[in-house]
Amino acid sequence: MKKLFCCFALLSAFVLGSCANQATSTQVHAASNRKPAPEFTLTDASGAQVKLSDYKGKVVLLNFWATWCGPCALEIPWFMEFEKQYKSKGFEVLGVSMDDDGWKAVKPYIAEHKLNYRVLLGNDSVSQLYGGLDALPTTFILDREGKIAFPAHVGLINKSEYVQEVESLLSDKRAGNSFGAAAIVLASAK
Amino acid sequence: MKRGATVTETLQVVVQPGFHVNSDKPKDEFIIPLKLTWTPGLLDTKSIEFPKPEELKVGSQDLLVFTGMFAVKTQFQAPANAPTGPATLVGKIHYQACSSDMCFRPSTVEVKLPVVIE
Repeated sequence: MKKLFCCFALLSAFVLGSCANQATSTQVHAASNRKPAPEFTLTDASGAQVKLSDYKGKVVLLNFWATWCGPCALEIPWFMEFEKQYKSKGFEVLGVSMDDDGWKAVKPYIAEHKLNYRVLLGNDSVSQLYGGLDALPTTFILDREGKIAFPAHVGLINKSEYVQEVESLLSDKRAGNSFGAAAIVLASAK
Repeated sequence: MKRGATVTETLQVVVQPGFHVNSDKPKDEFIIPLKLTWTPGLLDTKSIEFPKPEELKVGSQDLLVFTGMFAVKTQFQAPANAPTGPATLVGKIHYQACSSDMCFRPSTVEVKLPVVIE
């Protein structure tokens, strides 16, 4: 039998196409041009059903990641720090794991890395809603109205970019104030 | 190849510059290893040999990876009662690739190996 020599490339052109879409700088979407983050309902580690819309009124860092993703692991300590630092100001980190092995892989990781924020288990439907998520990490920063405030961050970016984006949204109290105003109106109507 | 004979085939794999795939034996339990499997039936797979991986540090994570072009060798044996004539052996490479700042979801590539058993 002749010696056979197979040669092929493991990474196709679409991969490089994905890289080209990577956001390289912080550029806020004007509030009027922001699109709502696609709604989803997913399960957290305790089995609770979580809707993204439950987080309206808060600034949300929505991070798609996986346990096998090295660059994702670099960001996780930052997100844990943000969760501690900004939670009282109306901020939440929401991690969505894209692990095919599900909780079997994700729960031990959460325990080992002592994640202090909520993690949900993603699926292909959610992946499609957010553009396919071919590359991880992919992170969206949502304003208090549940709208995507900045271009998606595909791949690892500087921690300072996240800080800048989150702080700029936390200092913008418009949505929070409108919720507060509604509460006052209801209270006085009673 | 003759019935009962053993042969070693080499699969050359190319990873695009700037990317790596995890080795077949990653250090971390969460990392997805490179796997090559051949559909059983036609030939018996006696062994699969991967090259020595490179060490790569991503943040605090120590990885064992393959980059560029590398060879994976498979030793096959044709069973004594294998059907003679031309046939195609199908294999699958399951891999998970990353660059220094992003990773791609695990994927599988099919490879085909034409054989003639005499």
